[in-house]
Amino acid sequence: MDDLYIAATPTSPEVDFRFSQNVLSLKGESYPENAAAFYSDVINQVRSWLAACQGQHIVVNVALAYFNSSSTKVLFNLFDAFNQAAMMGNHVTLNWFHDEEDDTILEFGQELHDDFGALDFHDHALSGA
Amino acid sequence: MNQPELAPLSEHTMIYQQYRDFCEAARQRHVIFYYVGYFSQHIVGAMADALKLRLEVSGLAGPTRRKLFSSFVEMAQNIIHYSDDALTPPDLDNHEVRHGSVCIGIENDHYYLLCANPIKRELETSLRQTVEPLRTMTLEEIKQAYKEALRSESPVDSKGAGVGFLTMARDASEPLEFEFVPMAGEDRSMFYIKAII
Repeated sequence: MDDLYIAATPTSPEVDFRFSQNVLSLKGESYPENAAAFYSDVINQVRSWLAACQGQHIVVNVALAYFNSSSTKVLFNLFDAFNQAAMMGNHVTLNWFHDEEDDTILEFGQELHDDFGALDFHDHALSGA
Repeated sequence: MNQPELAPLSEHTMIYQQYRDFCEAARQRHVIFYYVGYFSQHIVGAMADALKLRLEVSGLAGPTRRKLFSSFVEMAQNIIHYSDDALTPPDLDNHEVRHGSVCIGIENDHYYLLCANPIKRELETSLRQTVEPLRTMTLEEIKQAYKEALRSESPVDSKGAGVGFLTMARDASEPLEFEFVPMAGEDRSMFYIKAII
């Protein structure tokens, strides 16, 4: 499966999903006009890639400085897909990066941690971001 | 090509005076940002840039800046998606352009955001049913409702996640305020919402 790369725009994040290396990264700000439309193809590709993953170690890096409400909702579905892959016998590490002062993103990470217990969740608080 | 005739000096003076009055009124009311016109994703992105710069030099604490920014984006994107004054066809769900206004100011040592856009009058009831309950909820209850909304299917009439108002309520330090003002001679109302950060 080809790697997926979408360059960042001022209102959408960089998507750098290196399926060939099992390393998937999301970085930037996420408030596209239509989050469902922006992420639907991304999530579909992830789902079909994950369907073929067995016993893999997958690393997911998320460094989003801001995401709007509709992105939050869609991201939840993305992490649900990773969690299912982890329950199917893959090891999925989620590196969750956020500004140390950003309670909203910290709390969303904690919710992911609570809801998606199969993920190997690592919180990374960055200073002065 | 003929040069346009210059207006008499007195009219010029009047225009400057009106503009000075307008600026002075905005200054006295501590308005730091105001936009009225069409909202598209590009315009919201550009306004977000302007707001970020403004907030960076404001000396405000990081969390407050983020809450203001977040509420701004939710309000501005609500206008893109839901204003009843649209330049683009109603069935479009991307590249939409719709009319409204947004204002950010300071009042009693708190930042506030106000936004306004026309809606069909028949939507008043459902909007009221969405926003009114948030006004009496505690922050913990709002966060709980937010968690539940994240895990539920989107309402069919929502292009977003149905969590936009919950996000505003979560970021606000006071209950959200809103009102509907009927537009004369139309079956529409102006919908105003205010968040105090």
